[in-house]
Amino acid sequence: MAAASLFGADRRLCSADILAPDEVRARIEVAVLNFLTALTSPTSPAISVLPLISRTSANCSLRSGLLNDVSSVYLSYAFSKRSLMRESNAVAFVRVWKVMEMCYKILGEGKLVNQRELFYKLLSDSRKYFSCQRHVNRAIQDVVSLLRCTRQSLGVMASSRGALIGRLVLHEPDEEQIDCSILGASGHAITGDLKVLRKLNLSSDARYIIVVEKDAIFQRLAEDRLYNQLPCILITAKGYPDIATRFILHRLSQTFPNMLIFTLVDWNPAGLAILCTYKYGSISMGLESYRYACNVKWLGLRGDDLQLIPQNAFQELKPRDLQIAKSLMSSKFLQESHRAELTMMVDTGKRAEIEALYSYGFDFLGKYITRKIVQGDYI
Amino acid sequence: MAGKEKRRNAAALDGDEQRLRRKQEETALLLRRIKGFVRWVVEEVAAGRSPSIVIHRYRNYCSAADSASPSPCSCSYDAPVGTDVLSLLHKDSQTSRLNVLLRVLLVVQQLLQQNKHCSKRDIYYMYPSIFVEVAVVDRAINDICILFKCSRHNLNVVGTTSILLMGWIRFVEGEKNVNCMKNVNAASSIPVSIEAIKDLVSVAHYILVVEKETVFQRLANDKFCERNRCIVITGRGYPDIPTRRFLRYLVEQLHLPVYCLVDSDPYGFDILATYKFGSLQLAYDANLLRVPDVRWLGVFTSDFEDFCLPACCLLPLSAEDRRKAESIIARCYLHKEAPEWRSELEAMLQKGVKFEIEALSARSISFLSDKYIPQKIKQGRHL
Repeated sequence: MAAASLFGADRRLCSADILAPDEVRARIEVAVLNFLTALTSPTSPAISVLPLISRTSANCSLRSGLLNDVSSVYLSYAFSKRSLMRESNAVAFVRVWKVMEMCYKILGEGKLVNQRELFYKLLSDSRKYFSCQRHVNRAIQDVVSLLRCTRQSLGVMASSRGALIGRLVLHEPDEEQIDCSILGASGHAITGDLKVLRKLNLSSDARYIIVVEKDAIFQRLAEDRLYNQLPCILITAKGYPDIATRFILHRLSQTFPNMLIFTLVDWNPAGLAILCTYKYGSISMGLESYRYACNVKWLGLRGDDLQLIPQNAFQELKPRDLQIAKSLMSSKFLQESHRAELTMMVDTGKRAEIEALYSYGFDFLGKYITRKIVQGDYI
Repeated sequence: MAGKEKRRNAAALDGDEQRLRRKQEETALLLRRIKGFVRWVVEEVAAGRSPSIVIHRYRNYCSAADSASPSPCSCSYDAPVGTDVLSLLHKDSQTSRLNVLLRVLLVVQQLLQQNKHCSKRDIYYMYPSIFVEVAVVDRAINDICILFKCSRHNLNVVGTTSILLMGWIRFVEGEKNVNCMKNVNAASSIPVSIEAIKDLVSVAHYILVVEKETVFQRLANDKFCERNRCIVITGRGYPDIPTRRFLRYLVEQLHLPVYCLVDSDPYGFDILATYKFGSLQLAYDANLLRVPDVRWLGVFTSDFEDFCLPACCLLPLSAEDRRKAESIIARCYLHKEAPEWRSELEAMLQKGVKFEIEALSARSISFLSDKYIPQKIKQGRHL
C-alpha cells in the first residue's frame, strides 16, 4: 500500500454523491440509454457489461487526514463487471436493472421505502430473481456502485437502530426541542432518514461521547444517568453500526470538535471490528461510509482490564471470532496498539464481556469509565 | 376545531389535589401494613416458629391439554387458582423466595418513605449476588403485590419508557406540555409516567396500535394522521408495562375504540394477545393492564385475496413458527373469550403461511395508509 498523501488519495477516491431525486432519475436514464445504444449499434451490437466499483479489500486503501486525526477507508476505481454473458453473473446482472427500475418509480412518486418494503415490491414484481432479503440488499449496493449515488438518494431509507441519550438538545427546525437528558432508559431513537439528521440543530455542554456496543449496557448507563456525573453523551447502534448512527456521530464530532469520542466494547474481535467501523468506515458501503469516519478511541474493555475480570467470566473464542480476527489482522488500517490487543486475544484464545464487571456492584461500571477517562487510559 | 368534533376531555373526577391526597393516604396505609407484616415475621422468629406465608397463585391462562373439548379450567382474572406457601425453614427453593421478598420489601419501604421511584433493574443491582437475575426480583414484586393486594406502581416500582406516539392528542405530564396536535405527523418519543398526566384532550376517533416501529414510520412518512383523526401508538414489539398502562389509561379516559395492527404470524398474534389478555408473568396485574376491547384490525391471510395481493408475498411458516402457533392455540382464554381469533390462527396454521404488513407495499408504497387501514375501519372489518 503506497503511503497516500492527502491530495493523491483524493484523486483516487471514488465516492457516492448525495443527489436529489431528479438527478438520480437522470443517471438511471443515462444508464438505460447507454445500454440501448450499445444494443442497437448498427456496426457491432452488444449487451454491455455493468461496471461496478469493486467492493473488495483489494480495492480499498487508507487515507489519513493531514489536519485532523481522522483516517478512513476508501474505494478506488477498480471495477468488477456484471455481465449477462457469464452464467454465474447473469441473475445478479438482471437484479441490478430490476432494482433500478423500482427505484426509478419510487423516486418518481417522491417517496422513501425501507429495505423490507422494497423486498416485497420486488418479490411481487419479479419473483424469479429475488427470493430473500439478502439478494435485495446486495443488488441495492450494486446500484450504488454503478450510479455512484448514495443509498438514501435512491429512495431507500436506512434502518433506525441506534439510540442516544445524555447532555444534548436536538432541535429540528419547526419542531419542539428534544432534551436528551430527561428521557427514559431506552433513549432517543435515531431516525434512519439522513435528510432529517442533516437538518438537526445540536447543542450540548458535554465533553465526551461514549459509544456503547450493546443495548443492555447503554440502558444500564442510561438508568444510572451517567451523564449527570460525567458530562457526556451516550450513543449505541446495538451492534454493528448502521449508517444513521455513524452519521449522527460524525455530525456531533464536527459540531463539537473538542469532544473526545470513546468506545466501550466487549473484549473480542467483533468488538474491535465495531470500533474499526466507527473509526475507518466499511468496505461493503465503501462509497458512502468514508464520509462518516470519526476519530474514536478504545476505552474498554482492553488487555490491562483483564485483571479485573473473574476467571470464570472468560469464554473461549469461537471459530467465527477467529475468522473476524484473521480478516482484521490482514487489513491495512489497523493501528499498532490495536493490533497488539488483537494478538493478545488470539494468543490467549479468550474473550470477555463488559457485564463481567458487574460482579463489583452496580455502580462499578460508571466509576470504571470515569476513572479511565480521567487517567487518560485509552488508545 | 369544527363544531361537529367532540372534544373528549379527561374525566374530571379527579382534581389534582384530590389525586395527590389519595396517593399519600394509600402510601401511608401501605407502609403501616408493611410494618405490621414485618413485625409479625419478627415475632414468629423470636418465638422459635418458622413463619409461613401463604401467597395466592394467579393464572390468567393455561394451555388446555385437549383442545377439542377443553375441560373448564379455573383460570380467571380475579380469582386465584391455588396457593404457594413460603417459609424460612423449609429447605427448598421457597426459602430464598421469602428471603428475596423481605429484601425487596426493605427497598420498597425506603422508596415509599422517601417518595422516590426506581425500576426493578435498579433493585436487582442493589444485591446482585443474592438476586442472581432480574426475573427473581420480578417474582418477589409480584408476591408483594399479591400479599398486600396492590399494584406495582403503588410500590413505587416503575420503569419510565419512551413511548412512540403521534396524532390528535395533547396532555400535560408533570412540568412538560406534550402537544402532538401541533404537528400530527411528527412522532413524539416521550417518557410517560401515568401518575403525572393531567389535562388530557383528544379529538381522535380511534386509537391505532401498531406492532413495529417501521410501520409507525411508514404511517408518519405518509402523513396518515393528517387525513385520519386518530392516535397512533407503538410498543415496538412486545409492549412493556408503561406502554400497556398508558394505553389502558387512554381507553379509560377517552372511551375510544382501539384497533391493533400486527403481522399475520404467531409472534404478531402473541403481541396482540398481550394487549388484550395480559401476559402470564404478570397474571395478577393482568386485570389492570389489559385492554379487553382491543379489535384485531389485521393483517389477515384473507386480506391478501380481498385486496388482490400477489400470492408470492405469503411466506411459509417455519417449524418454530408452527410450534409457537400451536402453543398459543392451546391457551384457554382463546376458547373462552375469543373463538374467532382462534379460528383465524387455526387457518394460519392450516394454510402454513405468514404475511408481513410490509407486503402491502407490493400494491403501492402507501397502500397501507391510503386504502387498507381507512377501508377496513370504515367497513368494520376487524375481529
